[in-house]
Amino acid sequence: MTTAAAAVATDRPGVDRRERVIRFLAQAAQASHVEVLRWERLSGGAIQENIALDVRVEGGAFAGEHRWVVRTDASSAVSVSHSRPEEFALLAAAHAAGVKVPRPLWLCDDGAGPAFFVMARVPGMTAGHRLVKDDALVPDRALLARELGENLARVHAIAPPRDDLAFLGNVPDDPARERVAAYRANLDALGAAGVNPVLEWGLRWCELHAPAAWPAVLLHRDYRTGNYLVHEGRVAAVLDWEFAGWGDPREDIGWMFARCWRFGRGERVAGGVGTARDFLDGYARVSGHMIDAAATRYWQVMAHIRWAVIALQQAERHRSGAESSLELALTAHIVPELEWEILELTQPA
Amino acid sequence: MKVEPAGAELLRVARASLLESLLPLLPAESHYTARMVANAIAIAARELEQPSTAGAVDAARLAREIREGRHDAGEIAGLLREITRARLAVSNPRLLAPVDKR
Repeated sequence: MTTAAAAVATDRPGVDRRERVIRFLAQAAQASHVEVLRWERLSGGAIQENIALDVRVEGGAFAGEHRWVVRTDASSAVSVSHSRPEEFALLAAAHAAGVKVPRPLWLCDDGAGPAFFVMARVPGMTAGHRLVKDDALVPDRALLARELGENLARVHAIAPPRDDLAFLGNVPDDPARERVAAYRANLDALGAAGVNPVLEWGLRWCELHAPAAWPAVLLHRDYRTGNYLVHEGRVAAVLDWEFAGWGDPREDIGWMFARCWRFGRGERVAGGVGTARDFLDGYARVSGHMIDAAATRYWQVMAHIRWAVIALQQAERHRSGAESSLELALTAHIVPELEWEILELTQPA
Repeated sequence: MKVEPAGAELLRVARASLLESLLPLLPAESHYTARMVANAIAIAARELEQPSTAGAVDAARLAREIREGRHDAGEIAGLLREITRARLAVSNPRLLAPVDKR
């Protein structure tokens, strides 16, 4: 791109942003020219958005056509500019560890605008309600479940200390009890909306029944159906790394297995798409660790508590007037079914 | 004096009108919102018909006692189940159906 791009009228912020991205890419790819074939907003929320970008690159090591995704802070976002660089670092670490993720290409954190990064665009589908129902999308469920287990084991092979992931903060010595304390603090912060005897029962149970801690590793913290791409029946990419942190590896497995993420296919414990056995076999093949039933049950209780806390927080955003939304308001009404599952799981054997 | 039909009945018929008359006329991208509205109406109707909770448990006190470890023996498991059952009756009564089809 030419320097004339810098003169784009400032009353067209969308165009401005696009010019900034293309100018950066031309430089990063050492290209003589980058032609935009497609620029389309894919999805996004208040915090970040994804843009599909097809380009034809002339010159340099990337000469040719490419399908990329630009992940950027939304134009309206303020002071969240650190999150994109962190996400890029997580993606790079996962990619290097052999996890199926969109290949991260370049990060732009030059301070001239919101940070953004560019990654390969991976074909596939995330929609949980379709993946659990449509056997044409998942012809071999055992294979998919094994691959999900294998991929998670590769995430968990990333262990602290890591200079590139220093932003993840302290490594917990006792991840389970640290979680219990954090969720109690979350409930307390909600005031009257956080008063819930059944969640308290679940938390107390988790406090009393914590299995011996495993050394903390990198957790994805939202590893579930809906957050990975499936292409031709196989795991194509694990997405949504914004909750990643250090913790007990079995926390991720409990989240994946939690009934609330089975999309109505309760009998398929691994995210509604496959069996626990296949998932755990895949996990053990890569990690060397077989996860026992007591630990998966324990971390499923924790998963339901976590989802209930998040649901209460979301409903409170509506109730408090911070963000009036029917969807947020209804979220509170999934809490009783999470309570029901907590009571089921914590029954004496 | 109460004027019939009562609130819950109004909500039920309003919900049926939404789902049967309006939903088919809406573009596909609005169906999700329409179904959320229908769900909200159903919850509100069930809440109106929920038996009075006067004399019910002091939830804040129970929550505090559980956290303090004063119910570790599990003698309150039945009470907790009743609390959640009553909440499910409003939020998601399908879970209480005799045949569990979750």
